[in-house]
Amino acid sequence: MDSKRLNFQKWDILAIAGVLLCAVLVFLLFLPGRGEPAVYAEIYLEGVLVRTVDLRKNEIFSVQGIYLNVVEVKDGKIAITHSDCPGEDCVHSGWTDTSGRSIVCLPNALEIRVVADHDDVDFVVR
Amino acid sequence: MKQTKQIALCAVMIALALALSWTERFIPLQLAVPLPGIKLGLANIVTLVALCSFKTRYAAMILIPRCIFGAIFGGGITALMFSLCGGLMALAVMAIAWRSPAFSVYGVSILGAAAHNVGQILAAMMLLRSVYIGAYLPFLLLVSVVTGLLTGGITAGVLKILPYASISVPAEMRR
Repeated sequence: MDSKRLNFQKWDILAIAGVLLCAVLVFLLFLPGRGEPAVYAEIYLEGVLVRTVDLRKNEIFSVQGIYLNVVEVKDGKIAITHSDCPGEDCVHSGWTDTSGRSIVCLPNALEIRVVADHDDVDFVVR
Repeated sequence: MKQTKQIALCAVMIALALALSWTERFIPLQLAVPLPGIKLGLANIVTLVALCSFKTRYAAMILIPRCIFGAIFGGGITALMFSLCGGLMALAVMAIAWRSPAFSVYGVSILGAAAHNVGQILAAMMLLRSVYIGAYLPFLLLVSVVTGLLTGGITAGVLKILPYASISVPAEMRR
């Protein structure tokens, strides 16, 4: 093997730049709707909406899929505080109150999507 | 008898990759960077060493059983889907990148780490039937530059000393 290939080359910077460029592009793609004050959180199990929670009301409840996730809402923030899934990445993700952000528990196929407002309603009665 | 050496060499590499992916469970990277599925990717060192030393198909013959055994030993069918999506995506990208003489193992490793994350996010999108999880990808890609440099460095070190180890690679396996 060419020993040059075992040392950092100038073209490797292009690889880094390419990855960073992709990161920026994907970030911009998901930017709309991010950062608005979060009001609701939608809980999906395997892509199916199972519950909508109002972040203005403190509560603790559990969602049972393949594993059990305990979800806590406190002071406008939401988190998975306990889980019996392996790894518990979802618990380590911590609290969030940013709209457009998701907390996920992949082993349980659960997604908590934080939304600014109900934008999936068909009509609003005033 | 000709195949015995190939099978033995692949088996050793599979065992090594399994041991590395088991070991990295004890490195609590997600405590420092709270992103789902974040890890160092130590098992990718084995894939990369195999790719640089053997023909591409032998790297696949090490990667795929590693994913299957990993799922059997812990993780189950979901873990299999994730490790196969990530692993095969990484292998495909690294195999193409390694063909280009411009990139060193560092560049190949970074591209592989990034591809691994893309594969896993695609698997997560299929599992959750939602594209919102893609919002994590930019952060995972940033981390993959760092972890890719690290595993690339280890791979370079291994490849530098490997010729001094008395391992005879069968001629038909060699790149």
